[in-house]
Amino acid sequence: MLQLSAQDWQAIQLTLKLCLYTTAILLLLGTPLAWWLSQSQSKLRTAIQAIVALPLVLPPTVLGFYLLLLLGPHGAVGGTLQQLGLPHLAFSFSGILIGSVIYSLPFTVQPLLESFRRMGPRPLEVAATLGAGKLDQLFSVVLPLCRGGFIVAATLTFAHTLGEFGVILMLGGSIPGETQVLSVLIYDHTEAMNYTQAHQLSLGLLISAFVVLFIVYGLNRRFEREAVL
Amino acid sequence: MTLALQLTVKRGAFSLQVEHSLPLQGITALFGRSGCGKTTLLRAIAGLDRHADAQIRFNDTVWQQGKHFVPVHQRRIGMVFQESSLLPHLSVEQNLLYGYRRLVKGITVSMLPEQVIELLALKPLLKQHPEQLSGGQRQRVALGRALLSQPQLLLLDEPLASLDQQSRSEILPFLQRIANHSGIPMLLVSHQLDDVVKLADNLVLMQHGSIHSQGSLPQQLLKPELAASGAMSLLYAQCSGIKHHLLQLHIGQQPLQLPAPLFLTAAAGAYSPLTYRLRIQARDIALSLTKLNDSSVSNQLQVSITGFNPAPHPAETLVQLNLEDQPLQALLTKQSVERLRLQVGQSVYAQIKAVALD
Repeated sequence: MLQLSAQDWQAIQLTLKLCLYTTAILLLLGTPLAWWLSQSQSKLRTAIQAIVALPLVLPPTVLGFYLLLLLGPHGAVGGTLQQLGLPHLAFSFSGILIGSVIYSLPFTVQPLLESFRRMGPRPLEVAATLGAGKLDQLFSVVLPLCRGGFIVAATLTFAHTLGEFGVILMLGGSIPGETQVLSVLIYDHTEAMNYTQAHQLSLGLLISAFVVLFIVYGLNRRFEREAVL
Repeated sequence: MTLALQLTVKRGAFSLQVEHSLPLQGITALFGRSGCGKTTLLRAIAGLDRHADAQIRFNDTVWQQGKHFVPVHQRRIGMVFQESSLLPHLSVEQNLLYGYRRLVKGITVSMLPEQVIELLALKPLLKQHPEQLSGGQRQRVALGRALLSQPQLLLLDEPLASLDQQSRSEILPFLQRIANHSGIPMLLVSHQLDDVVKLADNLVLMQHGSIHSQGSLPQQLLKPELAASGAMSLLYAQCSGIKHHLLQLHIGQQPLQLPAPLFLTAAAGAYSPLTYRLRIQARDIALSLTKLNDSSVSNQLQVSITGFNPAPHPAETLVQLNLEDQPLQALLTKQSVERLRLQVGQSVYAQIKAVALD
């Protein structure tokens, strides 16, 4: 039977909040970035693409370590914030949000890039000759034609943030209600030998991750079929 | 209407250099072999590609000069691409209205949706989706969509190239109808002389990345570069009616009779005096010094010889003729020319053995 403590519920809430915020921010930032990557002939493109893909191969601890240095009280960003009378970002929700955004970036950019490439330049050229400006093209052509790419990007980003651990532990520690997300809480429960608690949350995460991926692959198949038509 | 172009493009082995002013009236064909730069030129005119230092002016409007560049969506051009370019997430009707709904206020609407749907016979297709249409139907929708955006210039990039023969013959009459009804100047890119002679009024001949010559289609057809793939002539003839299933045509004062197309004879009396385009292969014309009364060929027209051009085959000559101020050419063997002692200025009879009507 489910016996979740107040601390467990708090962690679930915090995790969902982190996932939603991360997904929303990444869709806003990732769309123009993926668009630029799909269009640009610039020499910078390869370098940017490599940077975007870095979180795929780096250990999360490395990422978390550098972010801690950067956002902490003595870092370039954190230090500046403190001089302005604002709190630094280490061990805070804002801090782990920034970490998540960077960590999940490739999971937003790759599916979008793929769907922009699949669409090709022709639909936009057509729209332009019919009097549609850039923004109009985005809403009347890109969004509907790349709908599949956006849905896949959003779900993958959400799911990947759900499973984030290393970056958060390094950067945020385990402060209940602030940085203690599910994956961190499971770690804490295990450390404290609370196996039943750890079990419940682990199984919950396992099932929800499976459901999300199942939906993504189902959508992928559907949109591929649509693209063939 | 004039399109003034100044453009240099270099891409690897490909180069395009154009510095011309094209008068646009009716359908102007941009004709040349694949790879001669036709499409590159058309895309630059549309504003789809931006080349450095290009200058493009349409009538009094500068589209590109120095840093000034009018983006595609503000040029008010219609464009039909080679392959299907319908937006796949929209129905035929939504595709048709895509440009129409985006018209800037203050533009005079000369093509209404109902008219275009009627003109292109699109009514039965409106609720369908692009993937349900045949190639010819898609191009018809693309054409209607371009027209409804009320373009001041219509650019057609090989609109027939991806179609089979049947779809081609389905769409050709529509293109002619649009040219006649809308009064919108069209620039048609094509490497098929057959399509060009059926449609175009003027022809711009492109070779190796530059404009070789430009002029009215009948005049341009006399160019040896075009004669290489089968010399032919284009005549404009007036029609005064149908008698005994024969179209009664005349060029100037000279009469010409041709079997009337069956759809015309069926609707007897439904004709009106029209101008027909007659395509005549140079090899389907024979010349005689006098009018022949003992020949089965009944279309004999009096012409005068204006010159001789070399033909692709060394034994033949293309004889240039003037028929009531329209150019005509006949393919004869050099031997025949010598035997009849044909000379410039001489008046002879042209026996026309076969004509294609458009």
